[in-house]
Formats: sequence, structure tokens, C-alpha cells
Amino acid sequence: MRMMKHRAVAVAALSVVTLGACNLDIQNPNQPTQEQVTTSPEGVIALATGLQGRFAQSYGNFAYMAGLVTDEFASTSAALISISDAEQGAVPSGTGIAENVFNSVYRTVRTADDLLAGSVALASQFDAGTRSGIRALAFALKAEALGEALQSYQKIPIKTYNVTAPTYVGRSEALPYVRALIDSAAAEIAATPPSAFFNTTILTPGMSLPNIIQLFRARYARMANDDATALAAANAVARTGPAALSVLTFPSPTVNFYANVTGGTNGIAPRRQYRTSMQAADQRWAYFVAPSTTLTGRVGALLDPWLRYANPQAPLPVYMPDEALLIKAEALTHQNQLAQAQAVLDSVRTDCTGGRGLDDPKACLPPLGAQLTQQQLLDEIYLQRKYELFGTGLRWEDTRRLGAIIGPVAAPAVPTSGQRCWLPYAVGDRNANPNATFTALPDPTEPSTFPSSCTTS
Amino acid sequence: MSSSLVRRGALLSALALASFIHATSVRAQAATGVVRGHVTEGSGGRGIPEVQVTIAGTRIGAITNANGDFALGAVPTGARTLDARRIGYQPVTRAISVNAGDNDVGSIALNVSAVNLNEVVVTGTGTATEKRAVGTSIATVDSALISRAEAVTVDQAMQGKIPGAQITQNSGSPGGGGISVRLRGTNSFISGSDPLYIVDGVIIDNGSAQLADLGIRSNPQNRLADLNPDDIEHIEVTRGAAAAALYGSRANNGVVQIFTKRGTIGKAHYTASTRFSYSQLREQQPFNFYPFNENGIAVNRYNYQDSIFHRAPANEQNLTVEGGNDQTRYYISGNFADEQGIMRSTSSRRSGARVNLQQQLASKLIGNITANYVTTHNELQAFGEQNDYGIMGSLFFAPTSVNFSPTNGIYPLPPSLGTNPLLAIDKIRNPQQIDRFIGSAKLTWTPLTNVLFDYTLGLDNTGFEQRQFVPRNAVLGTAPLATGRSQSVFQSSRVINQDGVGSYTWNPIGPFDLRTTAGVNYTDQRIRMTSATANGLAPVGDLVSAGSIFAAGQTDVELRTLGFYGQQEAAWKNKLFLTAGVRYDASSTFAPSERWQAFPKFSASYVVVDNKPGALNNLRLRSALGWAGSQPSIVNAYSQFITFTQLPFAGRPGFVNDVTFGNPNLKNERAREWEVGADVGFLEGRVSTEATYYNRLVSDLLFFKPLPTSTGFSRQFAPIGSMSNKGFELLLHTQNLDRQSVSWSSTITYAHNKNLVESLSIQDFQSAGGYPNRIRAGYPAGVFYGSYAARDCVTGALLLDSLGRYRRSNQTVDMGATLAQRHAISNGTCNDSLNAIIGDPNPKWTGSLLNEVTLMRRLRLRMLLDGVFGNQIMNLSTRAQNAGIASNSHSYERELLPYGDPRKLAPGFNARTQGIFQYWIEDGTFVKLRELAASYTIDAAIVRRYFRDGVDLTLSGRNLYVWTDYSGYDPEINLFGTNAGGVGSVQTTAADRGFDFGGYPIPRTWSLSARFTF
Repeated sequence: MRMMKHRAVAVAALSVVTLGACNLDIQNPNQPTQEQVTTSPEGVIALATGLQGRFAQSYGNFAYMAGLVTDEFASTSAALISISDAEQGAVPSGTGIAENVFNSVYRTVRTADDLLAGSVALASQFDAGTRSGIRALAFALKAEALGEALQSYQKIPIKTYNVTAPTYVGRSEALPYVRALIDSAAAEIAATPPSAFFNTTILTPGMSLPNIIQLFRARYARMANDDATALAAANAVARTGPAALSVLTFPSPTVNFYANVTGGTNGIAPRRQYRTSMQAADQRWAYFVAPSTTLTGRVGALLDPWLRYANPQAPLPVYMPDEALLIKAEALTHQNQLAQAQAVLDSVRTDCTGGRGLDDPKACLPPLGAQLTQQQLLDEIYLQRKYELFGTGLRWEDTRRLGAIIGPVAAPAVPTSGQRCWLPYAVGDRNANPNATFTALPDPTEPSTFPSSCTTS
Repeated sequence: MSSSLVRRGALLSALALASFIHATSVRAQAATGVVRGHVTEGSGGRGIPEVQVTIAGTRIGAITNANGDFALGAVPTGARTLDARRIGYQPVTRAISVNAGDNDVGSIALNVSAVNLNEVVVTGTGTATEKRAVGTSIATVDSALISRAEAVTVDQAMQGKIPGAQITQNSGSPGGGGISVRLRGTNSFISGSDPLYIVDGVIIDNGSAQLADLGIRSNPQNRLADLNPDDIEHIEVTRGAAAAALYGSRANNGVVQIFTKRGTIGKAHYTASTRFSYSQLREQQPFNFYPFNENGIAVNRYNYQDSIFHRAPANEQNLTVEGGNDQTRYYISGNFADEQGIMRSTSSRRSGARVNLQQQLASKLIGNITANYVTTHNELQAFGEQNDYGIMGSLFFAPTSVNFSPTNGIYPLPPSLGTNPLLAIDKIRNPQQIDRFIGSAKLTWTPLTNVLFDYTLGLDNTGFEQRQFVPRNAVLGTAPLATGRSQSVFQSSRVINQDGVGSYTWNPIGPFDLRTTAGVNYTDQRIRMTSATANGLAPVGDLVSAGSIFAAGQTDVELRTLGFYGQQEAAWKNKLFLTAGVRYDASSTFAPSERWQAFPKFSASYVVVDNKPGALNNLRLRSALGWAGSQPSIVNAYSQFITFTQLPFAGRPGFVNDVTFGNPNLKNERAREWEVGADVGFLEGRVSTEATYYNRLVSDLLFFKPLPTSTGFSRQFAPIGSMSNKGFELLLHTQNLDRQSVSWSSTITYAHNKNLVESLSIQDFQSAGGYPNRIRAGYPAGVFYGSYAARDCVTGALLLDSLGRYRRSNQTVDMGATLAQRHAISNGTCNDSLNAIIGDPNPKWTGSLLNEVTLMRRLRLRMLLDGVFGNQIMNLSTRAQNAGIASNSHSYERELLPYGDPRKLAPGFNARTQGIFQYWIEDGTFVKLRELAASYTIDAAIVRRYFRDGVDLTLSGRNLYVWTDYSGYDPEINLFGTNAGGVGSVQTTAADRGFDFGGYPIPRTWSLSARFTF
């Protein structure tokens, strides 16, 4: 009996020892935790790279969608029905086209906010120039992401960080918020120029932060009809040199956004009329497409295949360098400085081989000649924007602000302008956000007569 | 010593687990004898193997060999009581007189019985107990039923034998097809709904994930296929939470315990069996074979089913040797199976060996070792949901007018989707290599006759390599795949299981017997996976190294579970049994604050009539109440952590927040189940029945709760609602005839289950991404939800457009843009909703009928009918055929008929129906002739001279015929069947059922087998 007790004790002891080894707190080796990322400088720097990656996605989604619902892109033959619907102006609630811009924009915003929080929490671990660069990058890309949202949805949430039920506001509130973010970015780098460490190891190659900030500043000032700021900011964007062209780069195995959507079920290509509607001498199509006489889409649209983005590693410009000139020309026109405006516009028209040494669309057109009137200049600027800023998503806002939304255009008819005012709100937000239910936030009503402008709140 | 039941239970525990104990107290006595005998089925029937024979009041015991013979050594002389028992038979006790030396007690006859209250079951405590003491219904399937099924895998062999288990073969792929087992309905969305599998006390992995894209959601195989059915001694199935509560946080879906053969005492005893089979497509599908196209121009049509399917041979060889003495017992087996699939270029080959060894280490200590190594090699092809190289998808999506035959060695590709199926068969390769070891070591220590300690260490280690080779220019579609793909994925899966249990039997007062059990269990499961993928393949070479563009990946997932349990059993006069137990469980998956959960259980069993002669022989009433949990499958093992994910950009590493937000309060799903039932035996044991009603409610169901996407997140793994399953199970066994020359018995199973999503705290959702089904409160899980054909609200007639085509409920062109227009078209408000609940994939009831007839004791005939009733299937295969690119369905022929033909359908009729999901709902009711077999024993003297028990010859068939109205290949196949849930698999839920989309048809199989013993 005594023997047995000893053995029982031994068994019990053995059990305890064995079980002592079972630690139930297993760390996830596949993914870092929030804490691991946000509490180390390396983690925060990686967030800055992640932000630029997400920005590339949200910008790509925006430009893709905006090109479809205007007159820029149409679906290729194997594309999903929702894509050929969108090219005809129909975007039902709940489709990827309606959701992707919203979801990816707010992921970019989230990462920008995480990065800003990291720059505060770890302020002492970064030198001043690196910290200002990080913060300016976060402010600028967050601003542009929200700017893309407000060009796609009638109302958007602007305060979303650690908010469980974000509220939606109209453009009158959202646009100033976006502009304030850009001003914050500009203020950061004006106070402390970004460090060399930031410029070489955090900012991805091909990006010029001061130029990006000033271009965005000009873009949204123009949208707010603030000609003075638009002019000042446009003048601050570099005209020549490598810094004048900011690009997102896609070294192998990553693939630029347009190369990713040339084939398969989300395949799109430029409509052939982009090329054929140009003045005969205009060469800008050569930057984008390879001329085709045969390529047709899922519902019969005539297409030209991509030339530039057929190369999956082709860099994607963050903005077309001549956008600054076109904004400047428009501001000058509004300020009635017509001669100066026309000179700026001519510099866009006459940009040709060699030119400013930038890899951008080159019209190679003759100058305008006789002085145009204010309205003629605005019309010409609108036309030049269509050809110069192709594939940037800006076309949609241009057609909207000029009251040129023409409503859905059923194939085989070919649209020549924006086909709808807004996207339906993202069901992904509606499903969980009490401030975004169908009752709290009805989808905007599309106009009943065309051409039309769109209500912004 | 009391002869009370609970004490006998303790003895049986030792026997069931260790089977043979040579007690020192007995050995100490001088005068002993050897007792020999022979156990037969009925008087003068065949010898029965695996019968436990014990001497009452001692721990001397033995198991009969394959011939029914037994020998007990060192039995004290004098008057003794011999006890013989086996699953499925009424036990027998016989008084014997033992003399020194050899004692032959002759034949002992056991009679078949379905109600056997003395059957020993393990019930999830690690200690054995008699069935009469258990308040829940436990189904057992023994080796004879398994081996007679002539099935490729264990789960196939269980089909139609367990009431309340819906065992579905989701594909006809070689090597068993992917099989899913649902015990008492769907009980979880996310944790997988397959039960926990335990082999000889070792929790094993039954994953069905495919490591490469073999067609999204196809179901080629689940890993239970690695077990050799011939090695199995018996299976115990505990269906509900009440029965399985002692498995704690993993028991919600029930538990299947598999016990392998132990070996019998005596000289080495060899058994060889061999089987040759062939399988074939049961029936072809009709396609569009109309010899003209849309423009009335003559075209050639091709039937590629002739080229894709063939008659496929298979063979299986088994050799076992077993034997032993009073110190050592062994069972050694070798197995080889080679099966061609009915789809050309698919096959499965399995070779395995097993050694089960038991050794008396000391007078009170027994060691048991099981070791099973198996290597499986599969050659598979993609099927299921369309991918770019799936054979079934390509068959359904390609026009029948395309000539796929190669010319000049070039295989023409289809016009729009998929690949050339002939090319896939000839050139695309998906080999799998699985090397698996399942082993256990167990120590049983019985320091006193009423104290038992047991420790088991188990290991299930699986190395799984999946390769894929798609040559250049083999598929249409996007650039990377068209440049060829070679992929190699290695997965190592390891489950380590430690189990310790102790029990103490005591008798404090009079008629009460008590047993106290306490135990601990620890499981550590780890899955590591490394993948390498290459595109841009060189013209020659099919390994990853032949590529020019590379990608790689790695994952490492670990899940640990620690549980303590205690149980108190009380018996009163061998009549009333009360049990209370609790398991206290923690899993690493859950948040530390929620981790420890208690799962109690209570059960009662009352034996009203116990083995009485006459009209009513047995009556037992039972009831149980218990709680159990379920954990997320290993793919979601880290859901409690808020994590970041890699987003490299511009060639630099980057992090962004994971859009699935971690849940730092994650806790397990919790099921509460009660059941009540009765076991009754009538008419001298000729009729017996087990009936059970159960009611289960699962709360805190885990699924992805949507988060506002404006926050930058999309979802969080969180409790979203509750779901119930209520049902009734019946097992009825009748001995219709029992004569010397002929005996005939029948077994009927019936199970009815009603599933209901009781509540949802989130919006109702589509559980199968992209598929028209729904989880909605107030409906069964996974109901079909989608577009319907609008009807006139007054007459109920289908609304047609001017060309006679249906009007689709969610199509503006058909129904108008405004509600007012809809009302005008519909004559009322009945078509207001765009989509509706249009069907239910859950069966109303399932049942089976097994008949076994023995003639002249030599010829045995058996027939098993297995059916599923009242479920619906969405036939997406035919839908895919119906329009657009393919237009190859049989009904499309009618669109091609000349105008004026009364059968002519309007142009676009089929394209229109393609958009109406309701149109594709069909009745999925079927009855299958699951098993049909005739066995004959050749036992002529000349044969017996070489083969001791004669030779058994069996001609059998599986899935020979199906009675159904379903129009597709097979009503049993299911796109989402195995609910993979493995690392790297597509997210599906257990509720996603009833979708037929490009499945691998289940073949009809004929086999001829022979079994020799020597």
C-alpha cells in the first residue's frame, strides 16, 4: 500500500512536470501583432512603405472605376458582367465597382492614421527630418485618398480612426478637411525639411514629396475654386528634372495596376475613341495605347490595347506633370490673365519630343495662335485635360463640374462624357455602420434629365 | 469481492484497454489449469473472432482468434464462471469446473443482438464502461460490418450504418472521394462540422485541404483515407454534445473513436485477402448533340464524356499475422491498394503497415504500442468550381462543336474559358505524396483491483507534398498561367496527444457502487507549410526549377488544448446509473480571459427489464444533458490577435493593418444538448430497437462579423448568433428467420433532423462567397436564396415576356425599374422582393435498410440501401452549360430547332433561365443501392488442408444503382462537401451544401474478393 502511494505520487509529479510544459500563449509567427509593428521604428517605417502600397491600390481602383463610368475605358471580352454594366453607366449597389474604391481608400486612410500615430508615439526615436517626412507623407496620401472618395461618393466619412460608427459628410465639409490635411503636410516639410534618410529609405524611389504635396494642394484648391492657392501651389510644382515626375514603381514580381487589369475577369482597355477623337496631329495617344482596328470588348466597345501598361513593371505616375500647368492656366483664366493663361496652355499643347525631358504624354500640337476668350480658354483647358490626364480618374470630376454628366449610355452607343453622378455607397460599410444604413444614408438619386451637374451634399 | 456492476466495469476497463491481464494474486496460487474453448455465432455457427472471454472474479481474460478459439492460462482450479462477450451479441456466462492441466469447455454460442446493454464502450473518459450505464446513445460499428462493406475508406464503410449520421461522399475521386460526416446536422459554421476522430486514443487529423488549386472547393480526398479499413476492430460514434462533453471544447460535432485490432493469443495466425475491382461512370449526361448551329448550318458535335471517363480497375491486397501468449500479443498487417479513377489520368495508391504490440511489463503494468505507417500517392485533376484547367469545368463550359483532338501535337483550346480536357488528361499533372505515421504508446497500471491509471502518448505525423504542373500554352486566360506553372507545396502536420486518466471504484454502502474518474488531456497540433511556385516554364522540365518567375510562401500554425476532467458514476443494483462529469478546458486559440471553460454533463440510465425471456426481453430508459464547445479550425487559430500583414511595395517590406480585425475576447462556441431515449428488445431478441430524441442549441456561433469598411477593416471573428438541431433517431434490428439452413436479418436506420438558425446579431449573409445561399434567422442554415421566376399574383402562372421567356425577379428589363411597374406586371405585390428563399439543402430525413441472408451457413447475401430524403440541390453544372459561350446543354437543342417546331424554345430562353437561380433547384432525394454482396465460404476438406478456415469468396458492388429524380451526375456530390477549412483553403462554412458544380461523378464499382486464413 505504501509502495503504491509512492508510485501514485511519482505519477502525479510526472503529470505536473509534463503539463507544466504546455504553454497556451502561442504567438502567431505568420503575422506581426499591432504592438510589434507600432512600437518599433522599423515597424513604423514599414508602415510608411505599406501606406504607399495601399495608396497605389486605392488610386488604381479609383482611376479604373472613374475611367469606366466616363468615356475612357471599357471591358474586355472575358470581363465580368458588372464591369460591362459599369462602362454603360450602371453600377448596382453591392458590386465590386461600387465598393472597391471606398474600401481601398479607407484602408489607405487607416494606414496613414496608424503611421501618424506611430510618428507621435515614437517621436523621440526619429530625427526631426525623418519625422516630418513621415508625417507629411501620411497627411498627403490620406488627403488624396479622401479626395478620391469625395470624387466618387456624394458623402464620405472623414473621421474614421478608432471610430466605431463613422458619420458621412457632404463635400462642403469634406473638401476643406482634405485641403487642411494637405496644408498640414506642406507645413510639416516647410518647418523641417525631410531628412536624407527619409528621402532615400522611406519614400519609395521615384516619388518627390514636395512636388506631390504642392500638386495635390493645387488640385483641391482648384476644386474649391480657390484660384490664388491653386496658382501658387501649381507654380511650386517642379517643371523639369526627375523630381517633376513622381511615380509609383513596380519592380518584379509586383505589377502595375493597369497591367493587372488588362486581362481576365476584370479586364479593361482604353476606348478607341480616345485616340480617334483627338486632333489628327495630337500624339498623346502614343503614350498610352497601341492602335488597333480589331479589339472589341465584352459588349462590343471598340478598344485600343494598352501600350505603356502592357509592361507590368511600367511605373505609374502619381499625377501627370502637365496637370500643374493646366491648373495654372485655369486659375489664370479665372483671374482674367488670359494671355498668360494661353501661354501656359500652349506649353502643354506644344510639349513634344525632348520637351521638358519628362516621360509624359506629348501632344506635339501647334500653339493656339490668336488670343482666345475666357470661355474659349476654359473649353480648351477642359479638352486638354481630357487628353493629357487620361487614366487618372480626374475626367469624372471634370465632366461633373461642367454639368456634362450625360447619363447611362447603352452599348453599342459610345459615351463622350461622365455617365453618372455618384457611386452607390459601399454595402461593406452599410452592413456594420449604423450611420450608413439604407435608411440613415439613402443612395444619391441620379439626375433625371441630362446633361446635368450633380448635387454635392 | 462484490460482483457488482461497477466493479465489473472497472475490470472491463482493464480488459477493454489492456485486454489481457495476468494477475499476480492468481499466479501465486499453486494449482492452475488452462481453459480452452470455441465461440460460435448461434449454436453450430461460424467461429466468432474478437470475443472477450474472462473468468469472473479474476482479471484473467483472452480474446478469441479469427477462428473463434480461445485459451486462458493459469486459471485457478475449482468452480469458476466463464464470461464471453462481444459487440453485437448477447453475452453468455457459463459455470465451469477447472482442473489442473488442460480443460476444454467446448463450444459457447453467442446470439446476435442489437440491444446489448453489456456492451463495453469507452464514451470519452478513457475508461471503459458498459453501455447500460451510459445515458446517451452510442453507435458502434464492428469489424465485420466494415470489412463486408468492401469500401476503400473507413468513412465510406460507415455509410448507411449509423442513424443520425449523414455521411456524404462529395466526389468520386479515387482514394475514397472527399467524405463529410455530419452527426445530428450542422452545428457550426466555421469550426468545420466534421467530428473529432480518435484512433486508439490518438486524436488524428482528418483535413481535406488541397495544397494546390485542384478546382476551388473540389473534394478529392480527406485524410481519414489513410487508415486501412481492414485494420479496424470497431468504431464508436458519439453523436452529440451530451455524450461527448468530456471532449470539451472540441466535441460539439461529435466524436468518432476508432479501435484497431489487437491480436489474439495463440500461434501465429495469417490472414490474406485480395480484391479486384473496376469502376465506371454510372451514366452519362445528355449534352447538346443537335447537328445544326444557331444559323441552321450543319456542325459536328462531340461527346467528350467518352474521352474523359473510362472503366477503371483497382486492386487491394492485405496480409495480417497475429498471435501471442499470456505476456505478449501482436497484430501486424501490410496493405496495398491501387485504384484508377474513372476520370482518366487520376489514381490513388496506398501502401501501409501496422504493428500493434502489447506486453506485460510488470505484474501490474501493461504496455501497448501501435505503429501505423502509410504512404499514399495520388494523381489528381482539378474539378469543382471552374478554374482555368479543370476537366469537369472545361467539359461544362466548352461548346460541343469544338473538336479538341490534337493536330500536329497541338491541342486546340476552347473558345472562351478553361482548357482542352484532352490536353489536361495528357499533360496536366497534380501528383500528391502523403507519408503518414500514426502511433501511440500506452501504459496501464492497476496497483489495486479497483484502481486504474492509464497514460497514452499519441502522435500523428503527416508529410504531404502537392505538386502541380500546367505546361505552357495549356490554358486560356491571364498571362502568368498561360506561360506554364509548376508548384510544389510541402505541408507537415503533427498532432501530439497526451492523455492521463485514473479511476477508483468503491462501494461505500449497500447496493451503491461508485466510480470516480479524473483525467487530463493535452493536444498540440502544428501545421507547417512551405510553397514554391514558378511561372514562365521552360519547354522541357516540370519542376519548379524549370520556371523563370518565382513565388514562395510559408505558414506555421499551432494550436494547443489542455483539459482536465472528472466524472462520478453511481450505480444502484445494476439497474439505475447516474453520471455527472465536467471538463475544464483551455485552448490557445482563445483569449486568455475567456480561455478556461467548463463543460458539465449529467446522465441517467434505468434498466427496467434486463434479459428476461418472453415478449419483452430488454427495456432501458436513458436521458442525458451536456455541454460542449467547438474551436475554430486551424486556419483561424490566431484570430484573437490584432495583426498587421505584409504589403511589400517598390521592392521594400511594408506593413498594413490586417483587414480582419483580431478579437482579443474570442471565446468558443457552446452547445447545450439533451437527449432522451429507450433501448428495447422484444420477442426473444428477434426484434430490438434504439430510439433517441435530441435537442441541441449552439450559442455564440463564430463567424466573420462585418465591420464598417470606413474604418479600414472589413470583418472580425466573433459570436454572431445561435442555431439549433432537433431530431429523432431510430435503429431497428430484426432477426426475421433463424434456422440452421437459412437466417435472415434486417437493420433499419431512420433519422430526422430539423436545423434552424435561431438568432443572428448581424445581417443575414451569404455563407458561401459568390453562391446563392443564406444564413438567415428563422431558416435552416444554408437555405438557397436568389432570383426567382416571377409569377402572376392572381393566377399563380409564370409570367412570360413577349417571346415566351421567364421574367427574372431581380432584372429591371423583365420586371420594370419601379415598384409600380413591378406591381403592374405582376398583378399584385407577390414579386416585390428581388430575391427570395428558393430551396433548402438540408434533408428532411435520412435512412437505410440492410438485409443479410445466410444460406446453408456458407452463402451470405447482403444488400444495403441508403437514402437521403427531402433535400434540394442547385444544379449549377447544367446551369453553366446553358448559355453564352457553352450553350451545350440538352435543353439548348430546343433553341436550335427550326421555327414552327412545337418544341422550339425562344432564342435566349436558356440564357434567361441561367440568371434565374430558382430554375436550377431540383429535388435531391435519392436512394442508393450502396452495397450488394454475395459471399461463399469454400470449406471442403481439400481446401481446409491448406487454409484452416476455408476460403471466403465475395462478389460485391458499391453504388450500383441510384433511384432519384435529380438530373445531374449524382445527387450525392457536393461542391462544398468536406468543408476543408485547412490552411490555405477557401473560406467556406459547414452550412454550404447542395451545390453541384463540376463535381467528379461517383462511380459504380464491382469487386471480387477472396479471403484466406492459414
